[in-house]
Amino acid sequence: MNLPSISGIWDRLVWSWRPGSNREAGSGIVSNFLLHWFPNRVSSKGMAAGYSLYLGTISAVLFLILTVSGIILMFLYVPSVERAYWGIKDLEFAISFGWLLRRVHRIAAHLMVAVVFLHMFRVFLTGAYKAGEVVKSARPFNWVLGVILLVLTLLLSFTGYLLPWDQLAFWAITVGTSIAAAVPVIGESIRQFLLGGTVIGQPTLIRFYVLHCVFLPVILTGIAIWHMWRIRKDGGLAVTEQLRLEARAREPAPPRSSKTYSILGIASGTTVQVSDPTTLDDTNSVPSTPFLTVRLLVVTLATVAACLILALVFAAPLEEAANPEVTPNPAKAPWYFLGLQELVGYSALVGGVIVPGVVIVGLGVIPFLDKDQARIGVWFTNADGRRWGIIGAVFGMAASSLCVAVAVLFPLRDLLVGIESQLFFDVFNPATFLLLLFVGFYFLTLKISGSKRSAAIATFCGFITAFILLTYVGTALRGPNWDFYWPWQPWPEHPITF
Amino acid sequence: MNKNMDGGSDSTTRRTFLQRLTGGVLGLVAAVGSWPMFRALVPNILYEPPKRIRIGAPGGFQNGMTYLEEHRLFLLRDGNSYSAVSGICSHLGCTVKFAPFEQTQQLTVRGIEFESLGEFHCPCHGSKFHGDGTNYSGPAPRPLQWHHVEVSPKDGSLVVDLAQEVGRDSKLVV
Repeated sequence: MNLPSISGIWDRLVWSWRPGSNREAGSGIVSNFLLHWFPNRVSSKGMAAGYSLYLGTISAVLFLILTVSGIILMFLYVPSVERAYWGIKDLEFAISFGWLLRRVHRIAAHLMVAVVFLHMFRVFLTGAYKAGEVVKSARPFNWVLGVILLVLTLLLSFTGYLLPWDQLAFWAITVGTSIAAAVPVIGESIRQFLLGGTVIGQPTLIRFYVLHCVFLPVILTGIAIWHMWRIRKDGGLAVTEQLRLEARAREPAPPRSSKTYSILGIASGTTVQVSDPTTLDDTNSVPSTPFLTVRLLVVTLATVAACLILALVFAAPLEEAANPEVTPNPAKAPWYFLGLQELVGYSALVGGVIVPGVVIVGLGVIPFLDKDQARIGVWFTNADGRRWGIIGAVFGMAASSLCVAVAVLFPLRDLLVGIESQLFFDVFNPATFLLLLFVGFYFLTLKISGSKRSAAIATFCGFITAFILLTYVGTALRGPNWDFYWPWQPWPEHPITF
Repeated sequence: MNKNMDGGSDSTTRRTFLQRLTGGVLGLVAAVGSWPMFRALVPNILYEPPKRIRIGAPGGFQNGMTYLEEHRLFLLRDGNSYSAVSGICSHLGCTVKFAPFEQTQQLTVRGIEFESLGEFHCPCHGSKFHGDGTNYSGPAPRPLQWHHVEVSPKDGSLVVDLAQEVGRDSKLVV
C-alpha cells in the first residue's frame, strides 16, 4: 500500500506531518498512547466485516456504554428496600433524562447478552479457537477466557435485574436463586449465602448491588483486557493463520525472524513472533491507523446510535413495587434464562444445575477436543461443515420441539401417579431426554462424518437452535400456571376453578 | 540455568525449594486472608420477620381454607381442628394459589384419607398439589410444608411456627 504524500492546499492546511513510508506510519502508531494498543499493521482478511462481524468490538462498546450510564445511575440509586423502587420511579418521572439513562442501560445490557452469544457463535463457526499449525498460539485458552466472559455477562445482567425492586425483579430473583438450591446437599447453603439470609430482603439487595456495580465489572474488565491482549499476542484474529500458512509456503524453513529482540533483554528465550514467518506484508495488510481505527470508530458510533434509538422506542418496564406476598402469574426470569426456565419446569436439578453445568463445561473443552487445524478462519470450515451445520440446526429444532411436546402432552408425573420418588423424576424427564439426545447426536455425527470438526459444528448448531426454540417457548408460549398456549390462543383472564 | 550454578546436584535445587516455599507462603496467606472475608459474609444475625407468628383467635377463621397473605400461609379449619399449610412452592419458592373445587371430594393420597376442598397451583412452573399439599403434577419435588400450630397460653390465639415442619395428618383440635 502506498501512502499518499502531502499535496494540494487542503493537505497542507490540515497536515503538519504525514508518514511518508510504511515504516514511518508504524512508528507513528506505536509512539502514540491512544494508538499503541493496535498492532502496527493489520491483515485485510481480519478486518473484513464479513469475517468477524465486529461482534467482539460491539460487546466491548456495549460494556463501555453500560459502565458510563451505570456510573451515573449509581449516583441516583439507593440500594435499600425502602427506597430502591422509589429511586427508580424518580428516574422515570422526576430526574432530567433519568428515563433515558435507565432505558439505555437496560437496552445495552440486553444487547450485550445477545451480542456476546453471537460473538461466541461466530468464533466457533469460523474455528477461531484453534491454535494453528505454524506458530502454536494460545487461542484455545483465549476461548476459555471468552466462556468465562459469557458467564460473567450473564451474572452481571442477572444481578442488575433485582435492583429496581419491583415485582418483575423480585420474582425473577426468587426463581433464579432457588435454582441454586437445587444443587444436592449444599444447595440451600448456597442460596442462603447469595441471599444473605433465608428470604430475599435488604441483605440480598446490597449483595446484588455490590456484585453488580463493583465485584463483577472489575473482574470482567480484567478478563476482557486479558482476552484482547491475547488476540494481539496470538497475531491478530484467527483468519491470519491462513496468511501464516501462505508465508510459510513462501519462506521454507528456517523461518526468517521478523523480530530479533527478546523482552527488554532481560527475559531469556524469544517471543512467539520471532519464529513467525513474516506474515503481513504490503499485499495482504494495511496500517492499523487509519484503516482499523476508522472502522472501530464507525462500529462504536453505530452501536451507540443503535442503543439510543432502541432506548427511544422501547420503554424500560417497571411493575408494582416488590411484594413477597403476591406472585405474578406467570412469573418469568429474564429472556436469556427463559430457555433454562423451560427446562427447570421439567426438573430443577437437571434444568437448573446439570444442563447449564454440562453446557458451560462443554463449551470450555471444545478447543481441546476439536484439534483439526485445517481451514481456520473459514465459516463452517468447508462444504461438509455447512451441510452438518444445517443438519445440526434441524436436529436441534426437532429435538427441543420433541422435548417440549413430550413435556406438554405426556407429563410423566401425571401418567405415573404411583411413583413418589423425586429421584425418579429427576432422572426421567424431558430435560434429561434432551441432554441424552444431544450426547447421542454428537457421537452419531462423529461416526458418520468421521470428523470431530463436523460433529462439533453439528452439535453446536443444534445447541443454537435448541437454545432459541426453548427461549421462544418460555417467552411466548407459556402462560398462567406455566401452561402451554399457542400464540393465537388467548390467556384466561381469571384463574381456572374446578 | 544449569544445575551447577544452582549448587544442587539432585532434583531439588535451592531455586526450586525457594520457589515452592514462596508459592506455599503465598497460598497460605491467600487462604488465611480470604477466610475472614468469606466468613464475614455469612450472617450471624438475621433481621428477618419472626418465624413464630400469631395469627389471631381460632374463632375468627371461617370453615375451610383461609389464605394469610402476609405470611404466605394457608390455614385450614375443619370444625374445631386447625392445620397450617405453607404457600411457598417446594420447587422454586413462588407463592401457590388455591383453586377451590365446586364440591368437596373425598381423597386418599399416600395412605391418608381426607376431605379435599381444592388444589394448589403454582404460577411459575405449573406444579400442582392436592388439597393436603401433596405434589402430583409438574416439577415440584416435595409436598408443601405443614407447620406446627398451637394455642398461645397468654391470649388463646393461634400461633404458627414456620420453622417447624410437621406431618400431613397433624391437626390442632381446640
